[in-house]
Amino acid sequence: MTRFTVNDRPVQYRMDPDTPLLWALRDASNLTGTKYGCGTGDCGACTVDIDGEAVRSCQVTIAHAEGRFVTTIEALSPDRGHPLQQAFAADNVSQCGYCIPGMIMAASVLLRRNADPTDEQIDAAITNICRCGIYPRLRGAIKRAGRIMRGEEQIAAAPPPGITPEAAARTVPALGRPGVQPKR
Amino acid sequence: MARAPRKQSDRNRGLSRRTLLVGGGAAAGLLIAWGVWPRSYAPNLNAGPTETIVNAFLKIDRSGQIIVIVPQTEMGQGVTTVLPQILADELGADWRTVAVQSAPISPLYANDLLARQWLANDWTRMLGDAGDWAIGQYATRSALMLTGGGTSVPMFHDAYRDAGAAARVLLCKAAAARWGVAWESCDIQEGLISDGGQRRMKIGDVIGDAARHVLPPILPYRQGQDGRLSGQDLPRLDTPSKIDGSHNFAADIRLPDMVFASIRQGPIGDAVLAGLDDRAAGGVTGFLKLVKQERWVAAVASNWWAANKALDLADPVFTLRGAPVSSNAIDDTLEAAFAGSSGQRLYAQGELGPVFEGATILASEYQVDAGLHLALEPPCATARVTEEGAEIWMATQAPGQAREAIANALGLPGEAVTLYPLHAGGSFGRAMDWDVGVQAALIARDMGRPVQLQWSRLEDVIQDRPSAPAHARMAAKLGRNGAIEGWLAKVAAPCALTQTWSRVADGALPHAAAQQAADASTRLAVAGMAPPYAIPNWAVDHYPADVGLPLGFMRGNAHMHGTFFTESFIDELAHLANIEAMSFRIQMLGGNPRLAHCLSTAAALGGWQGGIAGSGQGIAAHMLDGAYAAVMVEAGMEGDRLAVGRIVAAVDAGDQVNPDIARQQIEGGLIFGLAYATGASVRYAGGLPTRAILGRMNLPLLADIGEVSVEMIRSTADPAGVTDLVAPLVAPAIANALYSWTGQRIRSLPLVGTP
Repeated sequence: MTRFTVNDRPVQYRMDPDTPLLWALRDASNLTGTKYGCGTGDCGACTVDIDGEAVRSCQVTIAHAEGRFVTTIEALSPDRGHPLQQAFAADNVSQCGYCIPGMIMAASVLLRRNADPTDEQIDAAITNICRCGIYPRLRGAIKRAGRIMRGEEQIAAAPPPGITPEAAARTVPALGRPGVQPKR
Repeated sequence: MARAPRKQSDRNRGLSRRTLLVGGGAAAGLLIAWGVWPRSYAPNLNAGPTETIVNAFLKIDRSGQIIVIVPQTEMGQGVTTVLPQILADELGADWRTVAVQSAPISPLYANDLLARQWLANDWTRMLGDAGDWAIGQYATRSALMLTGGGTSVPMFHDAYRDAGAAARVLLCKAAAARWGVAWESCDIQEGLISDGGQRRMKIGDVIGDAARHVLPPILPYRQGQDGRLSGQDLPRLDTPSKIDGSHNFAADIRLPDMVFASIRQGPIGDAVLAGLDDRAAGGVTGFLKLVKQERWVAAVASNWWAANKALDLADPVFTLRGAPVSSNAIDDTLEAAFAGSSGQRLYAQGELGPVFEGATILASEYQVDAGLHLALEPPCATARVTEEGAEIWMATQAPGQAREAIANALGLPGEAVTLYPLHAGGSFGRAMDWDVGVQAALIARDMGRPVQLQWSRLEDVIQDRPSAPAHARMAAKLGRNGAIEGWLAKVAAPCALTQTWSRVADGALPHAAAQQAADASTRLAVAGMAPPYAIPNWAVDHYPADVGLPLGFMRGNAHMHGTFFTESFIDELAHLANIEAMSFRIQMLGGNPRLAHCLSTAAALGGWQGGIAGSGQGIAAHMLDGAYAAVMVEAGMEGDRLAVGRIVAAVDAGDQVNPDIARQQIEGGLIFGLAYATGASVRYAGGLPTRAILGRMNLPLLADIGEVSVEMIRSTADPAGVTDLVAPLVAPAIANALYSWTGQRIRSLPLVGTP
């Protein structure tokens, strides 16, 4: 049986039960924020949240996910508003961006249990590989997200998606409202 | 923050300054060249109904949105933020209104700076400016749009500045005409045009008129420092989509009716498909078809895992012609190259002969293994091929060459192939090769429906085109006062860049490209080995070879091995001369104050104790295309494990447009260099790597990273590229640190050995 919950929606995959969760998410559900990097559980780019645990989705079959609750980067927040997403933006963490969803998912599980982790706890929880070299900013960004979670800091570093042109024009003087433009 | 006005550089005299720009007319946009040549390369940009093409680098929407066109491939280095920032600064835009769009393939976007670095040879150098011009012409006419080597900002800085300035003048003229004032009194700040007094107008309100105005013969640049965007740590434009998983890499493209493919290409070398078990794959749920070519086989299925499993079951067999590559053979070939007839002296100053004659010569031998890219995103491309033409979604550092190769493979004219350039998930030079795009197109044609081809990590490791393995024989004569009187570097290495060019531009097969380059002695293989130190007599020799392992473009390229040799050997000489390693270097840097300043800064910030025995401190310095850097590390062995506790870098890379992005690149370069020092390589045997699992490549994890500090030295010099600058420095700095920790000199990379 391959029935479980992905991002709060019940799903049943008509795929080989041995299919790793990663490929069901990516190729059947089109949840492409979860990345393929190695297929051997080493890089962590495919990290998702399963029942509150950070799990490398290339290492779990959909048969083993039966009845469980899977959360991917797409459902971490509706508006990039998760403290980790805001902290990653504020600290200018991401470079190529390929490892970032896995990093954020792994860190989100850590912070849910412990919003004030030590360096050692962060190092133990984040074993994901990044080749661009975001590491020097990573502990700081995770700690900052922790401070946001604890209510000690507020930031608005990355805007939510889906702002209407009208709303943008109200905020940014340089923008006009496309609706009132004369026709060509 | 006040900033000194930058002097106008003349680096891009000629083509790129003149190709500038004036968009005339409506959205279709006619480009009138601003000089004699090229007379007319019309921009082939598309524009929406409300967009005006201002010039090849800029569209403006009536709503006021500033759409900057960028030909360079975003691989994480921030180029899709930095180039728009240059334009927006000169235009006077509000950063919140700036968007970025990939450039179509056009001669207007040729990177002739990288072309010159790559293609210059003894002949073109002999021709001087004429040779430069010839390469520039070639680059432009063949639309050599290339990304790499940290050339993006040095190449395009002036073009984006001019593009912004041209747009500002046209907009000011359009607004001035409406107001009935002189355009010279107008200015633009935060996206609003002012008449010099109280009146304000939005850019979008007059952009339709702007195209009717003409540019003055001399383009004025913005004066004043108020509200300038250059030099600010503006937020990266690619951040929002990268933190919520919505950023589309090649593997994230979804097309109607699309299916998924995996591929096997056999062992390294001249391998052809010999056979496979056709029937075994049939039982896999979702399996659709095996697509066979001479040198590879792909399986196609309704999801990638099924495709890859089908390939495992089909168990393809390849016939390898020629000797299978092995690490032992690589080492033997490189040693033998020193005795070969193809070696050449490529750099020389003074006369080494008399200095070395009868003197005591200090000599050391070094070696480095091939370095793997291991970008986190394995090669991937998505393709749709119909009767009319082909569409390819992929990340490529050479889009013009990729499109041509795909068109050739499909038997289509180049214009029939549309290449959608995507951001790369790392790359580090890997995306200079376009194989995956060609393969995806061929599979898609065979299937008659869209196909996404994803290489497995295993395939990526086997078929990587790593940086060159190299051996060096270093020799020097020390004078009595510790001065180096003679310095000779002999390097045996295949030239990775020569091979890459044969593959990417001429379509040579990887093993054939490696063979063709076997006798070609070239400066590209020893780039960066001219010592920055004042040494009266020195020479650099290159001994080419074909080691049977196809090699490729890499972050740092030949600097990765060259700097390890140079900065390790300098350190050895310092210890032999009994002079503290930083002072030893600085006494030879009287003519290079920027590098000397980097060294003293890194030493001061790092608490340099002179590299005395037991300190575990090591230092190294390097300069690269107008950028200077020094790195100090503290390292030691914890059991049999290397521990790097601190890395301190001091960098002078000119007046950076976005200092925090430059800092990101320096930090990233340090981590990339750390991986190169400790791993990111494999042994080879029987034509295959001996292991291919990412977790066994000794790549650094967060827990391996101690304190990393980067000091950006303030400078008013032109901004230099920073992506390649510091990565080569980490390995020699660690080796030098280990010497001070253990008294043992490690002369090979990776430093800790690969299992």
